[in-house]
Amino acid sequence: MWFFLFFYNDWGLLMKILLAEDETDLAEVVSAMLTHSGYSVDTVANGLEAVEKTKSDAYDAILLDVMMPVMDGLTAVKEIRKDGNTTPVLFLTAKTEVDDRIAGLDAGADDYLTKPFAMGELLARVRAMTRRHGQYTSSIVTLQDLTLDTSKSELTCRNSISLAVREARLMEQFMNHPGIAFSTEELLEKFWKNEDGADGEAVWMYISFLRNKLKSVGSSLVISGESGGAYVLTQGAAV
Amino acid sequence: MESIYSGYEKKLHDIAIRVTDLIRDYGNAFSDKTGEKLFEHLSWRIKSEESMRSKCIADGLPVDTHSALKEIHDAIGIRIVCLFLNDIRRNLEELRKLPGCTVVEEKDFISAAKANGYRSYHLILSVADSEPDIEGNFPGTYFAEVQLRTIAMDTWAALEHEMKYKKDIHHPELISAELKRCADELAACDVSMQTIRDLIRS
Repeated sequence: MWFFLFFYNDWGLLMKILLAEDETDLAEVVSAMLTHSGYSVDTVANGLEAVEKTKSDAYDAILLDVMMPVMDGLTAVKEIRKDGNTTPVLFLTAKTEVDDRIAGLDAGADDYLTKPFAMGELLARVRAMTRRHGQYTSSIVTLQDLTLDTSKSELTCRNSISLAVREARLMEQFMNHPGIAFSTEELLEKFWKNEDGADGEAVWMYISFLRNKLKSVGSSLVISGESGGAYVLTQGAAV
Repeated sequence: MESIYSGYEKKLHDIAIRVTDLIRDYGNAFSDKTGEKLFEHLSWRIKSEESMRSKCIADGLPVDTHSALKEIHDAIGIRIVCLFLNDIRRNLEELRKLPGCTVVEEKDFISAAKANGYRSYHLILSVADSEPDIEGNFPGTYFAEVQLRTIAMDTWAALEHEMKYKKDIHHPELISAELKRCADELAACDVSMQTIRDLIRS
């Protein structure tokens, strides 16, 4: 009899893991083990590919080998962190020197495991990391009179109102970057990636939803911009 | 027991019908002009004897006809239920110029929902009458509370009302929290549907 145990993240999606490992055999066995344990796994062969993957896909955990061709794990984690990506990173390292572990953790890794390792320990560390991430990443974003709870997809000022998942992600982007203009193309790329039929009209509709929801909760913040142009979250004109 | 509305039952009915007729009139005029309805449902009720007595007591007022007619303002309750949020605004514009009626108070629980999630726009009308009232004023005046809401808000209020009067509810905190969540989701739908309507029409 087979038992399947699947791990799900906060969005109710299967947990996704990025594995960067240049030793093909090891990569295959780790990937197979993780898949068997209910994770969805993408495997790449070097640090550069890993950095590129993190730009196009959201992961719940990243496993990085330290010694890799093209770009090593240390450089890769620095690159990943540079974009504000806080996904937990576990280093897989053949080195046992203290200096390397310190360098890895300082570069932005959350944990490390020295090769050879027991599969059971790797799985336990992945479980611990993904658990911690969900708890420690703040789901509350505040800006002036406005509060966004991304875990509940709820926007609050004088009133509270529910947001659709995409609305919440867009709102989070605007609230984290007040005063910064985002072009329709940028938003399409970031929030509608790989979707057929999504165009400037779709962005405009979501901007319109958010504008009216900001008004509905009584916020003084507004998203300004014309259909098809750039949008920016700013303080509304004083009434 | 004598009615708390003693001698004024018929008057309250007449006033309620007169005001709802005025509302229906502007609604008909609007749909003749535009082909659209300003509201989906229009209804009225006279506050029950029992509720009126309880409210007098709760408000620290003498339990008598004067309190029911003059101190408490919702002996007559009129409800206007609309399809879209903006329809509420259009109805308000009409209500503020309703003949023989003066708006004496407005409470906007849509812009500032109650903590439990309740949303509605309340408005108290003072309605003039051709006969003296209980205080001997001429023309007499009666109060009516008009509640304006969307269908979504109305459905929510019906459910909340049911919960409030049900005695033995399991997990009342959980139910309240979920009701609050529903209210916010429905409010989100109201805003989204209004937005889509505006986009279609722009």
